[in-house]
Amino acid sequence: MSQTIQVPSICEFMNRHLVDVFETMLSMKSVPASSENLPQFEDKVTGSVAFAGDRINGAVYLHLGTAFAGQVAGAMLGLPAEELGEPEVNDVVGEVTNMLTGGLKSWLCDSGAECAVSTPAIIRGSSFMIEPVPDVDREWLVFDCCENRIAVEIHVKVS
Amino acid sequence: MATKILSVDDSRTIRLIVGKAFRPYDATVIEASNGEEGLAVAAREKPDLIILDVTMPVMDGVTMLTKLKEDPALKAIPVIMLTAESGRENVLQIARLGVRDYLVKPFKEDQLIEKAGRCVTLEKRPAAAPAA
Repeated sequence: MSQTIQVPSICEFMNRHLVDVFETMLSMKSVPASSENLPQFEDKVTGSVAFAGDRINGAVYLHLGTAFAGQVAGAMLGLPAEELGEPEVNDVVGEVTNMLTGGLKSWLCDSGAECAVSTPAIIRGSSFMIEPVPDVDREWLVFDCCENRIAVEIHVKVS
Repeated sequence: MATKILSVDDSRTIRLIVGKAFRPYDATVIEASNGEEGLAVAAREKPDLIILDVTMPVMDGVTMLTKLKEDPALKAIPVIMLTAESGRENVLQIARLGVRDYLVKPFKEDQLIEKAGRCVTLEKRPAAAPAA
C-alpha cells in the first residue's frame, strides 16, 4: 500500500498514540490540548528518536518538565519518584519516546513509507530550543496530564 | 526448578518491567542489553524463554534471532519479540524467522505473562509466611 503521507495525519496519529502510551504504560490519563501556548519548562528532560526512509525523514522530541519526568519514571517502574536518579529517569523518558516513535514508524510503514528508527537520546537543560533544518516541517502537540503539561515536537520532511 | 527467562533489551526500563512482571512467579529473569550479549548469555545459561527487543545497538534483535535459529543448541528456545514496532512487513519478516509470539509496546504486564505462559510453565510463588 502506498499513499501520500500528510503531516496533519501524522499529528492525528500521534495525538491518539501518546494518550495510549501514557494510559497503558503509566496508567496516566492525558488529554490533547491547544498548542497555541506552548509550555514553558524551567528545567526539562527531552527524549528524541529519529526516523529515516526513502520517502520520509524526521524526529520526535518528547519534552517533560524535570519534576514530572521523575513522576513518569516512578509510574513506569512502580517506584517512588524520589528514589530514582537521573539515569533511571533518562532511560524511562528515552523508552517512552521510543514507544511513541516506534508506533509512528509502524503507522508510516503500513502507509507505504518504510523507515527505520534510531535508538533514543536524551537532552537535559533549561534554555535550549531545537531548530529544524531547512525544508523540514515542525509540528507541536501539547497534552494535559496529571496537572502537568507534555509537549511533543515532530520534525518531518516528506519527499 | 525455576523457569529461566532471558530479557534482551537495551532499555534498562524494559528489563526492570520484565523482571517486575515475573516476580510473582517461580521464575528467574536474567538480562542482556544487546543481541551480541544476548547470544552469549543464551549459550551460557540455556534459558527456557527469551524476550527480545528489535532495535538495539551493537546487534539488533532480528540479527540475534537469525543467529539463534542457526545454532542447533539454541534454536528450540522460544522467543517472544517485545518491540515498539508493529508494521505489517516488520511482523511478517520476524514471523518468518520462527518467533513464537509478538508483543507490541506499549503493553500491560499481564499481556506479557499471558504470552509467556503459552511458551513455558509459570507457577505462582507461594505466599510468604507472616512474620512470627
